[in-house]
Amino acid sequence: MNTTLSGWLLDVYPDLKGGLALWLIEDAGAARGRRIRLRQPFPVVFYAAGPDERLRALWKYLRSQEIPVELERAERRDLFQPHPVTVMRIQVDDPARQPALLARLASAFPDLTWYDADLAISLRHAAVYGTFPLAKVRAVVDERLAVHSLSVLDSPWDLDPPAAPLRIMRLEPDCDPHHTAPRYLQIRCERREYRLPLPTYPPPAPPIANTAMGGESLPLPHPCFSDGGGREGGRPLLVNLTAILKRHDPDLLLTAWGDTWLLPYLLELSESAGIPLPLNRDASQPVVHKQERSYQAYGQVIHRGRQVHLFGRWHIDIFNAMMFHDYGLDGILESSRVTALPVQQVARQSPGTGISSMQIVTALRQGVLIPWRKQQAEMPKSALDLIHADQGGLVYQPTIGLHRDVAEIDFVSMYPSIMARFNISPETIGDESDEFAEQAPELNLWVKRETPGLIPQTLRPLLDKRIAFKQRIPELPAWDPRKAVYKARAAAHKWLLVTCFGYLGYKNARFGRIEAHQAVTAYSRECLLRAKEAAEDAGYTVLHLYVDGLWVQKPGCAAVADIQPLLDEIAVRTGLPVALDGIYRWVAFLPSRVNTRVPVANRYFGVFQDGTIKVRGIEARRRDTPPFVAQTQMAILEYLAAASNADQLRERLPEALAYLNRRVRQLRERRVSLPELLVTQKVSRELALYRTPSPAARAALQLQAVGKTVRPGQPVKLLYLLGKPGVHAWDCLPSPCLAQVDTRLYVELLLRAAEAVLQPVGVSKEALRGRQQQALLSSFSTPTGHFLARNINNDIDIIS
Amino acid sequence: MGRTVPSITQAFLHEEASFARFRRALRRSDQLALDDLFAAARQHLAAAAYAAHALPFEIFLLAMLLEEHKEVMRLRARVEAQDGG
Repeated sequence: MNTTLSGWLLDVYPDLKGGLALWLIEDAGAARGRRIRLRQPFPVVFYAAGPDERLRALWKYLRSQEIPVELERAERRDLFQPHPVTVMRIQVDDPARQPALLARLASAFPDLTWYDADLAISLRHAAVYGTFPLAKVRAVVDERLAVHSLSVLDSPWDLDPPAAPLRIMRLEPDCDPHHTAPRYLQIRCERREYRLPLPTYPPPAPPIANTAMGGESLPLPHPCFSDGGGREGGRPLLVNLTAILKRHDPDLLLTAWGDTWLLPYLLELSESAGIPLPLNRDASQPVVHKQERSYQAYGQVIHRGRQVHLFGRWHIDIFNAMMFHDYGLDGILESSRVTALPVQQVARQSPGTGISSMQIVTALRQGVLIPWRKQQAEMPKSALDLIHADQGGLVYQPTIGLHRDVAEIDFVSMYPSIMARFNISPETIGDESDEFAEQAPELNLWVKRETPGLIPQTLRPLLDKRIAFKQRIPELPAWDPRKAVYKARAAAHKWLLVTCFGYLGYKNARFGRIEAHQAVTAYSRECLLRAKEAAEDAGYTVLHLYVDGLWVQKPGCAAVADIQPLLDEIAVRTGLPVALDGIYRWVAFLPSRVNTRVPVANRYFGVFQDGTIKVRGIEARRRDTPPFVAQTQMAILEYLAAASNADQLRERLPEALAYLNRRVRQLRERRVSLPELLVTQKVSRELALYRTPSPAARAALQLQAVGKTVRPGQPVKLLYLLGKPGVHAWDCLPSPCLAQVDTRLYVELLLRAAEAVLQPVGVSKEALRGRQQQALLSSFSTPTGHFLARNINNDIDIIS
Repeated sequence: MGRTVPSITQAFLHEEASFARFRRALRRSDQLALDDLFAAARQHLAAAAYAAHALPFEIFLLAMLLEEHKEVMRLRARVEAQDGG
């Protein structure tokens, strides 16, 4: 007898016993709220292409395999080929066994081209059924819970989907385990709180004497490094945790350091004590570990910590989730919804994977082949063509100094909008002979316009959804809880859209093609210049142009109504959506630190008319700035922001300087706590490869000496100390005392940060440094203090 | 980062560096004036990039001239204002 179930789809993964396992949170009937595991048959298809005799050999080889397969000859479309390709279609009934089969085939037939070979199962499922994490679904199942039909009731593009009743359990140790050994595990779920003591360890070897900090208790050794002492103590922890997990049966474990410490630690404890710990909801699956790794992207070394993935339940480590600080759980769920990638994966990876997943689903649905390990050469170009094509967006040098009556106008998601509007996609790059092709601005490149490309089709709904949220957010009152949720979702879209451009240009990306990338930047330059011309025609002075934004100035420009005609004109001239980021009371573009006559494109701060402060590129935004310095800089800006217009800035200066003076004194008198002085820097390479170790490398060496390894791309928290080696790694215990801190260096950092924000409003560098702070203040109280630059007006050049 | 064509900033720094010997032989006061010229050219890097000229130094020279001419216009306006007043 078949029954119909409905609810939210929580998880999809290959079942080790064949087919797929689906987890559902039921939403109707007597079983409302029940979490149920379904099974679904789900054959997986992939393709091979190559010379006929090799395909025949492959046929024979596959027939002799023990894994049952269905083989068929077919024709399919490869986006990078002009004509359909003849391929062998290989269907495997058991999705769990396909990866192993592929690995064997790829090594036996390395000369064949493989398509659709290594796709995530959730994407294949999304392409067939339209599913995505937390989709509302209706399933017809038999008495053995095997799915006979499955339909999705909502769409990833709904703005207000019905919220799934997720049970979230938060697990966190009482302190950073990489710093000190935690003593308790704090657990919160469904308004209950638990505090489980972590096993105690045998007394440690006497710690390094730390005379200055006399009062502090002896540090415990790090549990990760203990050689198993205290395993006896593991039993109560495991028994209690098991009971708590069973009682609440959470859908999501939201942990602090769960990937890098807590879960591996608990699993190790469970193994050595011989007590199973039901972290997985699906008992038939083992917990999956992924190793840590370092890699390079965009000139930066990035470190990904190890990961622990669960089945039938999710695990997210808030400190190992890429964007958690940026958009939180709402953003992660939204990314997962629109990309169809599993929540646990979305939480941990860069948004770039998300956008290529969306392209994969589009391609699967249209029967377009998805290359595996694509190799594709760039079209030959003349040297002159290359000089024209090999450019990025336009980045101007802003006019240095303080300005008023400035509006900042941005193109909304400029690059994706260009792809959608001008139909830019790898397969739409054509040549002159195409009747419907349009030439990209200033380039010898032609874009076909008649059939919508794969990338524009993928991006369009995402762009529309983002614009819909952007329109709704300002209309909602501040108290509306949807406001924060919408913002988080819009932030998730933003990251997805930002990365889609990079992937378009990356030739090894599955749907990347350098010419498509070049066409996008060519259109962006054209559109930005058209916007500049529109502004100048309307009587504005253009202070700055930055890829997708422009800063324009006109005396009296103070209200949205003043600028609206210009926004409309730009939209007409470019065909792209534009938005007013805001009108500034005043804004200051800063010079380079190295050469004060040279402006830098992205270093500025200003105050919008509603009093919001916007800062870019200054110390407060940099992660290697100690919190004490960043807070001081922001506080100075807040003093300045209290001025209702540029004329009143001068009146705010005495207060700001008095504050700075207090902060300097606080530092000199060592009344700042150590965590406020922590500098976070990344180690950029293997420690052995440093010739002159950076502060981060020196700190990492200290960590290494106590058995804590630091991988390239991993951040190190450190303090600047007097004497050699000049740094102290924060996670090396014991902590130093305040007397050891290199106060002079911190005062220098503080003054530099203060200078960056005070110079444009008229306080000279000499005035800040050359004199005693006290003298500075007293002379400042006279409004004609000689160090006050006279440039608080509109036509400022350079502040000397 | 794996660029085929050097960026305009790279081209600019390269040109500036190629005058290092010339600069060294100048008097200190002339050195500072030369630095001003390069700083002036640097303000127009975005336009120089957009121009995508095969010989970027021609553009840099023109940018220096441009800034000089702006200065002349500014000074002329000032002189005329003083004469008038």
